[in-house]
Formats: sequence, structure tokens, C-alpha cells
Amino acid sequence: MSARDAILARLGPVRDPAVLAAEAAALLAGEERERPAGGEDLVARFLAQLGQPSVAATHARIGSLAELPGAVSGYLAAEGAEPALWLPPDARVAGLDWSGLTRLADCPIDDGAVLAFARAGVAETGSLVFETSPEAPMLPNFLALRHIVVLEVAGLVRWLEDAAPGGAVPRAHYWVTGVSGTTDIEGTYVRGAHGPRFLHVVLVG
Amino acid sequence: MTIAPSSRVALFVTCLVDAMRPRVGFAALRALADAGCEVVVPEAQTCCGQPALNSGDRATATDFARRNVAMLESYEAIVVPSGSCAGTIRCHYPELLADDPQWAARAEAVAAKTWEILAWLDARGWRPEGVALEARATYHDSCSGLRELGIKAQPRRLLGAVDGLDLVPLAGEETCCGFGGTFCVKYPAISNAIADEKAAAVEATGAGLLLAGDLGCLMNMAGKLHRRGSDVRAFHTIEVLAGMADGPAIGEAQ
Amino acid sequence: MSRAFDARVDAALADRQLKIAVERTAGTAEAKRGVAIGAWPSFGAARERAAAIKDHVIANLGAYLVQFEAAATASGATVHWAQTADEACSIVVEICRKAGAKSVARSKSMLGEEIGLPHALEAAGIGRVETDLAEHIIQLAGERPSHIIWPAMHKTREQVSELFHARHREPHVEESIVAMAASARRQLRGEMLGADVGISGANFLIADSGQVCTVTNEGNAELSLVPPRVHIVTAGIEKLVPSMDHAVHLLRLLARSATGAALTQYTTFYAGPKRAGDHDGPEEMHIVLVDNGRSAMRDDGLAEMLRCIRCGACMNHCVVFRQIGGHAYGGTYPGPMGSVLTPALDGLAANRDLPNACTMNGKCQEVCPVAIPLPTLLRGWREKSWREGLEPVTLRSGLGLWAWAARRPWLYRAGVRWAIRAMRLAGRGWIAKLPFAGGWTGGRDFPAPAAESFMDRYRKGER
Repeated sequence: MSARDAILARLGPVRDPAVLAAEAAALLAGEERERPAGGEDLVARFLAQLGQPSVAATHARIGSLAELPGAVSGYLAAEGAEPALWLPPDARVAGLDWSGLTRLADCPIDDGAVLAFARAGVAETGSLVFETSPEAPMLPNFLALRHIVVLEVAGLVRWLEDAAPGGAVPRAHYWVTGVSGTTDIEGTYVRGAHGPRFLHVVLVG
Repeated sequence: MTIAPSSRVALFVTCLVDAMRPRVGFAALRALADAGCEVVVPEAQTCCGQPALNSGDRATATDFARRNVAMLESYEAIVVPSGSCAGTIRCHYPELLADDPQWAARAEAVAAKTWEILAWLDARGWRPEGVALEARATYHDSCSGLRELGIKAQPRRLLGAVDGLDLVPLAGEETCCGFGGTFCVKYPAISNAIADEKAAAVEATGAGLLLAGDLGCLMNMAGKLHRRGSDVRAFHTIEVLAGMADGPAIGEAQ
Repeated sequence: MSRAFDARVDAALADRQLKIAVERTAGTAEAKRGVAIGAWPSFGAARERAAAIKDHVIANLGAYLVQFEAAATASGATVHWAQTADEACSIVVEICRKAGAKSVARSKSMLGEEIGLPHALEAAGIGRVETDLAEHIIQLAGERPSHIIWPAMHKTREQVSELFHARHREPHVEESIVAMAASARRQLRGEMLGADVGISGANFLIADSGQVCTVTNEGNAELSLVPPRVHIVTAGIEKLVPSMDHAVHLLRLLARSATGAALTQYTTFYAGPKRAGDHDGPEEMHIVLVDNGRSAMRDDGLAEMLRCIRCGACMNHCVVFRQIGGHAYGGTYPGPMGSVLTPALDGLAANRDLPNACTMNGKCQEVCPVAIPLPTLLRGWREKSWREGLEPVTLRSGLGLWAWAARRPWLYRAGVRWAIRAMRLAGRGWIAKLPFAGGWTGGRDFPAPAAESFMDRYRKGER
């Protein structure tokens, strides 16, 4: 008998999946009423969450994507960082004027800045929502020292339940809620344990 | 609560009070009489069975449950000067006897009318009258009373009516004192360390009196405080409410 | 009390440094959780719902496992099943061998610890890189985790500094925690990116989509699981939830209960290996579903324990844990949840102290985000221990004698009179030394009883 057979035999008869699904769904009925306060204005709540100590993200707001390169240059200059960054193979990047910045051919392994487009943002927690795709590699978002994330205001949702994409399940779906951090040594908080030490959100619209 | 003013209640005095500090039992009688109760002290009482229950000896604990249910069920109410003992009767007797068709309902009935004394007095709207105690006191919430019976505000309301008594908050008032019944004799070193922290917190309040609703906790905390050379004196809350805090504190010759 | 437990407890209580570390970690976590939960009025209702969700899954575990397996397989992952810890380790080692792996990168997994995976990899000659900072520290120190969220909480900065100076290629120069963390970042980066296999646990397994959810705050998980050719997940079968929305409900409770944050920094849902067009991701994804006693726990009265979402709140609030720290428990899991699990995983006879070394104060149950009745489960172990005759003879006979007397009121009264007289021989007020009660009077004074018991005085007419 395989381990699978033995375990399933031990766990007993399997009930009708449709019945189970209905029971599972019923267990969430009324759940919205129990969520911690979500705040009124989506943008205000989102920005307030970005400012939480455990999130520690900075932000800027621009009217349109055309202003993005300028906003990035400005951010890097203000931080005293090199005017260089890695850009994802996203169509939106192509149409913009990056002449003020050095475009890195390869994603830096440690130092350096990386740009990414978040598909959505969650106001409840200040989370940025990503999925993998040919236009959106995953690794650069964790390798960079500085993570610069572009988010359209229209992509803001209130609750985590609204974060998942509809349709087919992506290879990886992930939420970034602030800078990498650890309290593993004597409980002292340190930023940039392995992931990015800096997170800058550029809100568009 | 819909108990008539002149109710006939049974006092379940508890084995610790009986053997170690009878004053608590007499204070209970005094307060209950003042509250208009006719009090009976069932002769056959010994112990609620908690030591057996917490040691895993379920058979003995269940036997004690049956005996005590039979002894107590004829009274309108059972009042207990201990949160852990009241909790044993109220919460654990029904669970111990749930599968016994002859006893399950009887256990439920007794559980429903068993009360920790401070909760009982507060629910009846009784307040000590003409009881004065010029002192600064701090209060420890014993775990069973707090978490099994919801005893929190009641003792503070009752003590609020004692003239001259200044109640100051205890940091970590809901943190276990380390008594834990059989725990303090089975794992004395750990119990001792926990009690040390509790005593330090009590001393830090600047209060001269330590009050609580469970004698085991009080003996543990007072014993630790005295060993540390502290001046803090400990009483069971019911002693204060009955105007008997002018007598010997815990550990002083009775 | 077993000699081994005794010795560990004594060592822990004597360790001043440990106490400082425990207060700094668990004490801070208690305070932060308090703020987060204090700001959540519906916490009580939310945790009742979470308990109901987990109970539903556990009651229908077979169905959800089958559903998960189908969905995960459809996404391209390979699902394996392991009844025992050894089986699980063998499967992992075999996958590593087939992949020609010389080194594996591990992100933190208590389940991996439970099944003995570090040892199995070592025995198979496979290099292991622990990428979670705390796990890295204890790997260097050759120790086991002492907390499920902060495995290296027992280490001081000096101890960490010494380890890093000895073992890092480019250790920190400045003696600061920031510099030490940077040293670890440097040391582990290349190893993470160069590993052949990445091994993780799972916080949740999403049944309807086959997704594996990991929750971390360092970013080491993603860096160890995305670059390698092979990603192996080892997960306890109880980690299932029906859907993403159910997971979200539990995630809200998890982070707040563990650290007081609304959410941890990285919440990632993986569904299978790299797809056509992806720039990164593993070529193979394996999920090892591990039973290791869980189905037995479910049938043996421990179903509620399987609700556990590994937040650590119970231990952070436990007065016993706060004095003795995690290693004293002697098993993979410490604190209240460890005291329930360890007898199930490693046997009751060797671990009967754990459910007994508890004051039954109930704080653990009060803070548990899935309302596990921990004191009840601990009492259950005490009852089993009693039935199996594992309790010490002195306790059994002492309790037996007391119970025999207490059933006979007249005899009991006589016994009480005798005991009072005996105690009063040692003193009339505070007693500093009471024979046969050295456990008490070793550390505290004992208040002498009055000359007569309440029942005797009452019978004589005193009111």
C-alpha cells in the first residue's frame, strides 16, 4: 500500500466535493464584518500603511506614466544613489524617456535599484501585488537594494481578498508589504535582511 | 439573577480555607449574612477534587464530582470563596459527568447555581456598608476565576465601597502567580521564578496590601513577598469586605 | 520530574542571559500583539471563525488533500506523500540525488526541523545552506531552534558576532547588529543563488488552486526558491485551507498574533514550476505532504491541536516559557503548543513532564488565534499519563491516600487536625523551613495554619 493510500485510508471516506465547497463558502459568510478597520479613502489608507514602521516605504505621486523617469531620477538623486537601474521587459517601459538614467543590462545581484510594476495595491495593509509573467520576472524584486514600484491609483483595492487575479492561477502571486526586515539578532530590527532595504512606491494617477 | 432576598445558600468553604485560614470562611459567613442570606455549611464537605482533576486522575475527580453534586444539589445556591474551586464545580463537573446519564443533568444543575463569592455578592447588588480601611491595596486576578468565571470587575466594584481604601493597579495583574495547585510542588523551581516576578510587580505598586480571591495564590505571593523582606500584607478580598482586615494578615499568627 | 527535564530547567533558570533574551523577544511580541489585537474589536469573532474553518478542513482532510493534489499536479508540480518523518526525508534526499544536488538552500521550516531534515541531508552528504538569518545562526552554532518564530532568540549579539567572525568569508568589522546582518547578507547571497535545490515549508496549502503559501519577512524564501532548478516543499497535511479567501482570513490573524504587524513583508503563493516565457523559477516543483502522526492525532482527541497556524503567541504569553525558554522543552516545538505536540510526536513516556509543567492558567488559550483549548488538551495528556501508570509512585500513592481520606469526612477531619498540628510544630506565623515541603520553603515562606480548622470551629458554634 502506498503512503498515499495508507494516509487516505486512515482519514476516512471523502465527502462530495460540491457539498464541501458549499460548507467552506458558508464558513466565510459575514466575514467582511470582522475585518480590522479598513479606513475611508483608499489612497489615504494605502499611504498611511506605507508609513507604518514595519512597512517603512517611501512614496511619490505623479499624474501620468510620462513623468515616471523623472520621478525615479529625483528619488535616486535625493537618496544619494547612482542614477542607474534595471527595468523589467514590460511594454510600458519602452515608451518612456530613460535618457537621464543608466539602464542596467542585468539585474544587480545585491546593490542597485530595480523598477517593477505592481498589478494592484491593497489599502488594508499597504501591500503591493505582483504575479510572474514574461513581462514580470520575480527575482529582481528580491535582489535589489532599492525596489521602486509603480502602481496606478486605479489598481488600488481595499482588501486582501480583492488582491488575487481573476482567471488562471499564475506561477507565483506575491504580496510585498514593506522592506525586508528581521529582528533575529537580540530582537533588534534591521532592514534589508536579504531582500530590498528600500521600497519606494510611485503612485500614478 | 432571580434569587429571592432571603435565600438559603450553601457555603463550600474549600479545603485550603478550612485547613489553612478559617478566617476567610468566617468572613464569608459574615458577608453573606449581611447580604440577607441564610447560610448552611454542609457537614460532609471536604474538597472539590481539583488535585485529582489536575493530576490526571479522572476517575477520582469524577467520584468527587458525584459526591459533591449529591451533597449540594438541594440548596438554592452554592457560594465558594475561591475562583478555582468554583470553576471546578461550574465548568469541570458537567464535563466530567457529561457521559453519565444518571448524573449529567444533576451536575449541570449544580454548576448553574454555583458562584464564586465575590461574583455572587456583586450580582445581588450588595455592597459593604460602614466598612472602612485606610490603606493602599493592589489586586491580583487569579487565573481560574478570571478565565473560567469572568471575575474581573466584581471584586473591584465591591472594594470600591470600602471607605478609605485606595486601589492601585498591579502591572501584569492577569499574569499567573505561579501557584497552579499541584504545579508549585511538582515544579518548585519554575514556580519560584514566576512568583519572584509577581512579587517584584506587587512591590513596585507601593501598595501596603495585596488582595485576591484565591487563597492558594495569596499564600504563594505572600510567602514570596515575606521571604523577600517586603512589608506587603495579604488578605483574601472577602476578609476586607467583611470588615475583618484589622486581624492578622496571611502568615501572621492567627 | 524526569532527570533530563529537571536538568534542562535548572540550566535555563540559572541562565541570566537567557532570561534577558526571552523577555526581549517574547515580552516585546506580547506587547506588540496586545496593541494590534486591541485595535481589532472583532478579533474574538474572527478567531472563532478561523477555528471553524480549520475544524472543517481537519474533519474533511482526505477530501482536501485529494483536491490539493489534483490542482497542484495540474499546475505542473509533483506531489509526494509521506507517512513518517523518515519517509519524508528519504523522498527529499532522493529528489536531491536525482537532481545531482551538491547543495540545498533552506528557508525556515519547523516541519523540516520536526522530521529531522537537516540531519538527513547531512547524512546523505548534501550541503545545506540555511538562509533565514536565525536558522543560519543556529546552523553555525550547531543548535536547535528555541522558538518557532525567532529560532535564535537565545543567542546574544556577542555570541553571534563570534560565530560570524569565525565562519563568514567577509565578516563585519563594526560590532553592530546592522553590520552583522549585512555580513550574513553577503555570506548567504551567493549560496542562495548558487544552490541546486531550494527547500521550504508551507504556511498554507490552498486546496482549490494547488498553491503553496509561504509567509516571511526577510526575502530569503523567494531568493532560495526561485533561482534553483528544483523547489521542494515539505508540509504537514494539516496546512490545508479550502481557498485563497480562507487563507486570507487566517493570514490576518497570523501576523498580528505573531509580531503585531498587519501582515508579514512577503506573502507568496507558488503554483508549480517555471512556465513558458518566465524569466525565472524552478524547472521542477515537488510537494511532500507529511503525515508524521497528524492523522493519528486527529483520531486520538487532538484534532483541535491541528488547527495551529504556528504563530507563537501561546509561548510568548506562557509564564513557564518566559522563565525556561525554548530548549528546556527538549523537542522541536516549545511552549504550550509544544507541550501538546511533543508527546504525540515523540511519545508520552519520555515527555510526560511537558503537560505537567503547566499552571493551567489558560492565557495560552485566550491568545490563540484559532482558539485551541490548550489547557484541556494538556489535561488530556495528564489523564493518559495517569491511566498508563506513568505518574511517579509518590504522587499516585499520595493522591490515593488523600482521596481515600477525603471520601470519609470524619477521617478527613482527623487528618486535617493532625496536619495542622504537624505544621504548627514548625511555627505559628511565617514558617521559613517546613519539613517535606522544601520545594515551597526553598524559595518562599509558608504561612502556618490557625490552631483549628474552619469546620471544627464552625461545628463548635463559632460564627
